[in-house]
Amino acid sequence: MPVPKAGATRHGPSWLAFQAFRRRVRRFSAGLMVAASLPIAAAAQGISVIDDRGRTVQLAEPAQRIVSLAPHLTELLFAVGAGDRIVATVAYADYPEAASSIPRIGTATQLDLERLLAASPDLVIAWSSGSPRAALERLEALGLTVYYSEPGHFEGIAADLQRLGELAGQEERGAVAARDFLDTITELRDRYSTRPEVTVFYQVWDQPLMTVNDQHLIGRAIELCGGRNLFGHLETLVPRPGHETVIAADPEAIVSGGPGEDRPDWLAEWRSWSQLTAVRRDNLFFIPPSLLQRHTPRIAEGTRMLCEVLETARSRRVELPR
Amino acid sequence: MNPGTRKGTPPRASWALGFLLVAAAASVLGSVMLGSVALPAREVLAVFLGEGGDLARLLVLELRLPRSLAAFATGGLLAVAGALMQVLLRNPLADPYVLGISGGAAVGALLAMISGLGLAWVSGSAFAGALLSTLIVFGLAHGTGSWTPTRLLLTGVVVAAGWGAVITFLLAVRPSPELPGMLYWLMGDLAHARGYGLPWIMLSVIVALALPLGRSLNVLARGPLQAAVLGVSVRRLEWTVYLLAALVTAVAVTTAGTIGFVGLIVPHMLRLVIGNDQRLLIPASALAGGILLTLADTLARTVIAPEQLPVGVITAMLGVPVFLYLLYRSRT
Repeated sequence: MPVPKAGATRHGPSWLAFQAFRRRVRRFSAGLMVAASLPIAAAAQGISVIDDRGRTVQLAEPAQRIVSLAPHLTELLFAVGAGDRIVATVAYADYPEAASSIPRIGTATQLDLERLLAASPDLVIAWSSGSPRAALERLEALGLTVYYSEPGHFEGIAADLQRLGELAGQEERGAVAARDFLDTITELRDRYSTRPEVTVFYQVWDQPLMTVNDQHLIGRAIELCGGRNLFGHLETLVPRPGHETVIAADPEAIVSGGPGEDRPDWLAEWRSWSQLTAVRRDNLFFIPPSLLQRHTPRIAEGTRMLCEVLETARSRRVELPR
Repeated sequence: MNPGTRKGTPPRASWALGFLLVAAAASVLGSVMLGSVALPAREVLAVFLGEGGDLARLLVLELRLPRSLAAFATGGLLAVAGALMQVLLRNPLADPYVLGISGGAAVGALLAMISGLGLAWVSGSAFAGALLSTLIVFGLAHGTGSWTPTRLLLTGVVVAAGWGAVITFLLAVRPSPELPGMLYWLMGDLAHARGYGLPWIMLSVIVALALPLGRSLNVLARGPLQAAVLGVSVRRLEWTVYLLAALVTAVAVTTAGTIGFVGLIVPHMLRLVIGNDQRLLIPASALAGGILLTLADTLARTVIAPEQLPVGVITAMLGVPVFLYLLYRSRT
């Protein structure tokens, strides 16, 4: 039985330190997640969790009025059954269907603080690297409780599900959602991570050409599926390589997201480079960006699709006549 | 002596100043009344009397008033910087944004922000950038001869474009998370104004300096040769004004990013009404600039609410036609 673990961290510099840290913070055993008591004295009966910036977030009682500051955070809240407690969210929070009717307070990067305050939230869920930091610091100074989320890897998503569940008084649903998610990921990892390596170019955007490195969640998904990310070694989270570099590296598969939920035209444009292995073997794959580019439980589905297309690429290794 | 400095304040000018003071108070009050959340005027007034509901107090005292004060001070600073440069260059088209001084300050501030330095460093670095830009533009445009409008504007435009390229470069090599926020800041945005203390101190200092400095500036406005003949130490005065203009621009840029055209429109409009006496023009510019930016910022945060606009968009929409008109007129 796999022992799923989850903990509080941002992009931890070292895996070992991360392991030690999350062991200290929270422990799960035999698929059933049991919150270990924190070393610091938590509020006697209140809720206390540690967010992805390592801050302690305390609530006297489960949050009733939540403001969610990014589409993926809204999705995470719905996943733990706290969707009906979201009183305001930002543009593009379109999943699940019910999220569309929540009032808006700006975009993920530009907030209307007046309307946020007017929604009188008892909990604000912020996106560490996306939400405007200065505005959030002002909200904290005004006494609002802010939880910062930054799920940079699969375990981070599970941890956020678990902790958001606790904050919203849906501890069990949070734990179940986290466990289901990690079970799927573990299953995929067991099945695909040791398969023969496929070199992958993941295309986020075409003008400019954008990809991801190994620290990015998509990079981790590629690794989990037994792929090797062409630009995984680069330092920038979202590098912008030139077309020349991609063509010279000759990836075995090109996987693309897109501006929308349909296969983008830019994927077919690679066909003009007929000498590319990925083109010769027709390994040009599309995975809807909402399944792979949002850090939510749906990424398990996206990762499964990714693993399957890489498996297809492997099956096309019998060289076709030129 | 310049005859203008001996005469008492003409009545028309004191009327204008009085009007501006009232309008300034009205603009701040108006910007506090309006927001993306509709608060009845009575409730806003109640807040100032120490009453009112919790939400109204929160919105008015913690969000609207600080932002409105920051906008007012920044607008005042930009208009004063514009007025100073226009005297110095004897050219109505001078403005910190057009001449690339704001760009230099923005690059300085951006570098400090990217290095993760504190607010003091951001301001200091912005000042260094503004100063460098001032030296380049004025140094090159002056050369050996005198300042011709074309030469000055061309130098300014080229330097501003250069800073723009540096900014684009910095944003391109910088990882993405802070990018949207920085873009707004570069277009001029008061959402991130961290306080109104520094700009208000700077504004008070510059207006207090306007009286003693104003006399010499009036003389300088007639030309350096005449000023020298009349006993003004031209070189020292010019340097003082350079430094002040750069400092004022730097404070404005660190508060609210690069906001264009306030320094261009405001002094020009005022000159049409109250004439070119610097002792009046500088305090009047401070007031009118403040009014303009306070109103522009109120528009920026309410027009398409809950989405927010950068205030620089609004000032540019007002400023570009005025600038074109001035250029067109200066042809003849």
